Amino acid sequence: MPLIELRGASFSYPGNLKPALKPISLRVERGEYVALVGPNGSGKSSLLRLLDGLEKPSSGLVLVKGLDTAESANRQELRSAVGLVFQSPADQIVSTSVEEDVAFGPENLGLSRDQIAQRVDAALAAVGLEAHRRKSSHFLSAGQQQRLVVAGTIAMGAECLCFDEATSMLDPEGREAVLGLIDRLVAGGTAVVHATHDMNQAARARRIVALDSGALVFDGKSRDFFDPEGPVPPSLRKRLGLPDGDAVARAAGLEPIPGEQPDSLASRIASRLRGRSAGPGSSSASTASAELSRARADAVSAFVVESASHSYLRGSANEASALRDFSISIPRGAIVAFVGRTGSGKSTALQLLDGLASPFAGRVVSFGLDLGAKGTDLRSVRVRAPLAVQRPEAALFERYAGDDVAFGPRNLGLRGRELVDRVKSAMERIGLPYAEYRDRSTRGLSGGEKRSLALAGILAMGGEALLLDEPTAALDTDSRARVMAMIAAEAAAGTTVVMATHSMEEAALADLVAVFRDGELVALGEPERLFYEDYDPSWGIARPYAAEAAAHLGREGIELGSRPLRTSELAAALRGITAEVVA
Amino acid sequence: MKGIEFFRHVTVGQYMAGDSFVHRLTPATKYVWLLALMAAGIAGASLASQALLLGIALSCGAAARIRPSFLLGSAKPLLPLILFIAALQFVFGAPGDDSSVILRLGPLSFTAYEARLTAMMAARTVALIAVIGLFTAVTSESQSMHGLEDLLSPFAALGLPARRVSLAAGIVFRFIPIVALELESIVKAQASRGADFGSGRGGPIAKARAYLPLFVPVTVRALERAERLATAMDARCYSESGVTRYVEYKRIRGETAARIAAIAACAAVIAIGNTLRIFGL
Repeated sequence: MPLIELRGASFSYPGNLKPALKPISLRVERGEYVALVGPNGSGKSSLLRLLDGLEKPSSGLVLVKGLDTAESANRQELRSAVGLVFQSPADQIVSTSVEEDVAFGPENLGLSRDQIAQRVDAALAAVGLEAHRRKSSHFLSAGQQQRLVVAGTIAMGAECLCFDEATSMLDPEGREAVLGLIDRLVAGGTAVVHATHDMNQAARARRIVALDSGALVFDGKSRDFFDPEGPVPPSLRKRLGLPDGDAVARAAGLEPIPGEQPDSLASRIASRLRGRSAGPGSSSASTASAELSRARADAVSAFVVESASHSYLRGSANEASALRDFSISIPRGAIVAFVGRTGSGKSTALQLLDGLASPFAGRVVSFGLDLGAKGTDLRSVRVRAPLAVQRPEAALFERYAGDDVAFGPRNLGLRGRELVDRVKSAMERIGLPYAEYRDRSTRGLSGGEKRSLALAGILAMGGEALLLDEPTAALDTDSRARVMAMIAAEAAAGTTVVMATHSMEEAALADLVAVFRDGELVALGEPERLFYEDYDPSWGIARPYAAEAAAHLGREGIELGSRPLRTSELAAALRGITAEVVA
Repeated sequence: MKGIEFFRHVTVGQYMAGDSFVHRLTPATKYVWLLALMAAGIAGASLASQALLLGIALSCGAAARIRPSFLLGSAKPLLPLILFIAALQFVFGAPGDDSSVILRLGPLSFTAYEARLTAMMAARTVALIAVIGLFTAVTSESQSMHGLEDLLSPFAALGLPARRVSLAAGIVFRFIPIVALELESIVKAQASRGADFGSGRGGPIAKARAYLPLFVPVTVRALERAERLATAMDARCYSESGVTRYVEYKRIRGETAARIAAIAACAAVIAIGNTLRIFGL
């Protein structure tokens, strides 16, 4: 008997004519690791909710351990067998203390106190949080909180865990910890269904189930899923993207192994090319960027920060230092990426730049205006360098999309034709055609569209700089690409862009990368230098896949002659070498 | 220069972990003390009773190894309020007040009776703050939830859902900082779009409208969070009957005596205070 079985199960949300899921049949066996992929709104979350009986199928049957999820008598057994882990950990934690939160499920099952204690111990050990058991849950990092949520489901006796974009709000370290935990759970015999936008993560599973517009379009081996000759429609594969190692392996003439880590791929490439590496290739890319940055250093700075320190709850017993002795000079027209662990001071640094946070020591100059000087109008500073906070879509409030974008320019006093033009241009620049979207209901937009709309609201301010706090966090590949294209276009038009990000692939696109650790700026430089010569693992950030693989290749004695940051660059370099070897 | 940071300053006391006799009392007993001392503070009608109450709070604090400055310090933010009320007393006299005038300033006067009222209000505020500070210092958030559950459990027979009430209280505590941070983030988002709260011109409706960009998203986000939490609780089989509680509180030696002492302390504060009041203290 399979652990979970869907027999022609479909699902529609009440009052919605279009089904969220068309009839689907599939089985999940015990101990299986399944990645669930699909664009935004393809029905992934709905499918997960069917699996543990949170929603009942509109037609067809969902069986968990042979039990019908539509029977309410099976509720306890179903929910214990299948656990759910959502995106935002804070919204899933019920109790204030770590161990009591793990105990919450078993308490509801009415187990004896001894049994609960045993389960709590085992679950905390499984996720590696024993040392924190008496802590208050809000003192845990986001990654630890997510592991706590997993512990809560393990303590229920879960045989299958469903992760719904559960790593998309975590920093690289927290993400790795959760992914490592998933691997251990699978090794221990727990089945895992992992819904994700990230093809690197999806590739870790042996089996991939793909949804598109509520229909099951692929169910099979991950190798076949990423095969360009395989059954997946090319348009869908393009929207979802490929794992980082894929193009690199193909360029080196190797068969890609889905989910392969850069070190293992590098040694496969090295053994293929061993001893026959080509001489240094062209390094024109890095020379060009060096000239570029010299030219930019001469330009007037957009922002200058001198020894600024900031702490939250200053003067209270809970004072928390956020940033210490922070100095930076950001040239006009540059793209600067702030990277570092969660809580390392990136967001605070962004907020210092437009006066949303004020330093208790030091000085901040924004476009020539000293923010600390008496009489500086902070409102005009903010308008000049508007900040898109994390998840800016949370601040959308107007009923219609166009009105929300107009909120900012209207505050600037724009009216009539001028206002319409401003709104229209902002929406077009982020890829939301004005005619199509202006009268759409804000609430009815997808997650990616909401993010774009919120960013359009910032673009519409017409500022000279854009401050973006994790602008692509939790977006699917498609929406991510749209936001990055907007950033590139704005920078090309002369706008200074400062963004905080957890994606090193995005940071690699910047002119300068600033690395924060524990409230201090520990490194600042061009991405080639930072991710190669200067790279320090203690920063707590990952390297771009291409840089990591290239560094391993270097250790294996393969000299690329360039410092690739994108997989396409690495693939091109490898193709050059392979061609020479073959020649 | 002033950045935007607010609400995080609101802290409802601060738990000071410890292993004293006071810490080890069951949460229910701590609640009995809290309620008894607060009743005493409200009913105690003289300066002497408030002084005695403060003395009791500070001695309990000493037994729990909590510094008096910690308990008294939390009253400091209320100082402006106390001064403001004193100023009100100064400006508006009490009817039928014929006590001697201490200070006169033009048509305004400050009488002995007003001085007494002000001192009484200040003393009561300080004493009650110390009592609440003591309770939160020795009771963790989860203990205060469980204590509430235990205190309410006798009423379960009358249909009072003790577990639901205590869980709701705990969730409120947990979500105060989360929602506060959310609100801060939304204020920052709208400030970045040039919103200017508070200085809105026009009539009351126009002013209220100026807050819509805050009110709408905060409400929507709070509801979304509530829904997600509800789903997470449902996924973990939340129920109110047939439930075991993981944390168990063993009554320590002297638990019953401590409860009786709480009632006795309450009675003493009221009785002594009101007796001494006759002698004008």
